[in-house]
Amino acid sequence: MIFSELYGAYYNTVAAILQLAVKRPVTREELRTMIESRAFSESVLTIEPALTSGKWQLLRPDGTTPLEYPPTMPLTLLQKRWLKAISLDPRIRLFDFDDSGLEDISPLFTPDDVHIFDRCADGDPFEEEWYIQTFRLILDAVKNGSPLSIDVKSRRGTRIHLDVMPEYLEYSEKDDKFRLVTFGSRYGKFINLGRILSCKPFQGHAPPGLEDPAAAIDKSVVLELYDDRNALERVLLHFAHFEKEAQRLCGERYRIKLFYRQEDETEMVIRILSFGPLIQVTAPEAFVDLIKERLKMQKSCELN
Amino acid sequence: MYGFKSRDEFTHKSARSYDDERRRVESWLGDYMRFRQMADGKRVSISIDSRISRHDPLYQAWKAKSFTDGDITLHFLIFDFLHDSDTQLSLNEIMDEIDRRLSCFDAPKTFDASTVRKKLKEYVSQGLLRAEAHGKTILYRRSDTANFPCTDALDFFSEAAPCGVIGSFLLDKAGAHEGHFAFKHHYITGTLDSEILCGLFEAMRGRRFVQIETVNRRRGRTAVQRVVPLRLFISVQNGRQYLMAYVPRNRRIDPVRLDNILSVKAGEMCENYERYRQKLDQMQKHIWGVSTEGGADQLEHVQFTVRYGSDEEHIHRRLEREKRCGKIERVDAHTSRFSADVYDSGELIPWIRTFICRIVEIHFSNRELEVQFKKDMDAMYRLYGLSGGDEG
Repeated sequence: MIFSELYGAYYNTVAAILQLAVKRPVTREELRTMIESRAFSESVLTIEPALTSGKWQLLRPDGTTPLEYPPTMPLTLLQKRWLKAISLDPRIRLFDFDDSGLEDISPLFTPDDVHIFDRCADGDPFEEEWYIQTFRLILDAVKNGSPLSIDVKSRRGTRIHLDVMPEYLEYSEKDDKFRLVTFGSRYGKFINLGRILSCKPFQGHAPPGLEDPAAAIDKSVVLELYDDRNALERVLLHFAHFEKEAQRLCGERYRIKLFYRQEDETEMVIRILSFGPLIQVTAPEAFVDLIKERLKMQKSCELN
Repeated sequence: MYGFKSRDEFTHKSARSYDDERRRVESWLGDYMRFRQMADGKRVSISIDSRISRHDPLYQAWKAKSFTDGDITLHFLIFDFLHDSDTQLSLNEIMDEIDRRLSCFDAPKTFDASTVRKKLKEYVSQGLLRAEAHGKTILYRRSDTANFPCTDALDFFSEAAPCGVIGSFLLDKAGAHEGHFAFKHHYITGTLDSEILCGLFEAMRGRRFVQIETVNRRRGRTAVQRVVPLRLFISVQNGRQYLMAYVPRNRRIDPVRLDNILSVKAGEMCENYERYRQKLDQMQKHIWGVSTEGGADQLEHVQFTVRYGSDEEHIHRRLEREKRCGKIERVDAHTSRFSADVYDSGELIPWIRTFICRIVEIHFSNRELEVQFKKDMDAMYRLYGLSGGDEG
């Protein structure tokens, strides 16, 4: 069962408090700080009095505990079954994953139990040795904040050399690809891992800076829709991963403002077009023009 | 969730319930709450940019299960007594140890043997403890644990794998660390169906029937049906999750939206499980999304042709990348044709519309759909003032 107190914020917070209390008495101040940093915002009202009043007899009035060992708990069967399931995922080879102790465990699911039906077919080659090595090198560089020298294949097929300061890795579930997000380079902020031809630690004299000339520019688009054919739910679900504001205008008419990044503008245009006449872009004018331009071109195709 | 409803429009139970729920959600998701003051009242909503949040904030909802004072006290005491897998104790020994440890409190809590036995049994079923019979006595010891996985793998799979909340539980044990992954096209709404999904996976692995209770939210009705769960279908373009299940009553394989399933109860083994699964494998060659309407005898043909410029070779590549069960044919250097035979060609329409501006030919064997597609195009021209001679 997933919804269990064993996995709850309260048990985890109390475990952390007791971890300290087996070594030395815990002060009220420490108690409060640990609760505030680990549990929910209102938890301090529950956990602190329960521990200090003896309701939960785990902490003595002097801040020591009747426990003799730091609290630990083995993994539950559910946790082991989930770990076994991810050990069967091809992407697991990207990580240093040791499956000792899972030999006799039945997976919670297998790759054959799941079908992602609208994922792009040209995902990254997660099982190829060069890709795994590149991924690991980049992940290490991200963790250590060390610069990299990377050669990539451009969209036109040419080789481009980049010295970059890695920031983090971004995974697209739709594209099934990783991109390295950098602190900025002449050629942009993102590097598709699948396009990398070579990658090594930067050895030059002047490492790439942390300035961010290609910082993401936040943009927004305003849509209006009439809640016909369940349009409202479909639109809000489709754009659920964007920051947004929704407003009811009158009756079943709604206005939605979506915030997106400049680099995603073309994708935003085609995703809006996919809803056909159910939604209309009303602002900004430049975005309306992008839609109009495509419609005009379509009209000129004279589809009969 | 939508952000346009006010407190007065909360019709479920009382306004006080609304305040309780709002406080509860705020406690879990405080950083993601947005408040807007409108003329007719305050609007509260949740707004999350999945590329900024390293972890799904809705996982918090799964970490708020209530428990009794006895539950938490017993939990920490039991694992303290059984602190390694070599230590084994009987129920009586555990009872004695509880009394000894709690004797330092002014009013020591007392537990009866049946409560402690029940807790031990619960932990055995969850795989935390092992129970071994020694003559007439049962001895308890903690289970062997698995190697704790690296946090990078947990950071990634807790967001990218089904039932990722379980990975989040593991991350909580790993302690504070900096995450190095962000996620694009990442839908988190399915998180709330994790328990249902877990029950379905267990039934799939056990090749079992399940009894599911589903809700039709528009009609406000619930129904119970017996099905064979075959596979989970996930959309990474709208976040919806579907169970593909064999429905004995209709003798068909149909999709059921996971967020419409209220409960799952595992039943008996299904002898024909592999046969149904193979049937689904065959059907998948003609399922564009999830719809199996019509059946194999009435597959619908759909084809469309797009034209692109010399510097737009990516359009052909995009077709190849997104064609799913369809076929792509290169007509000439600037023209490509897509075709597919599917159960429900209506499912392709949103995707076809993403090629608006270059569709030069389109044909549906379902004539009604073709007419509707063209009517919708006209409606779009009208919306943007491009119908008739008013282009400009």
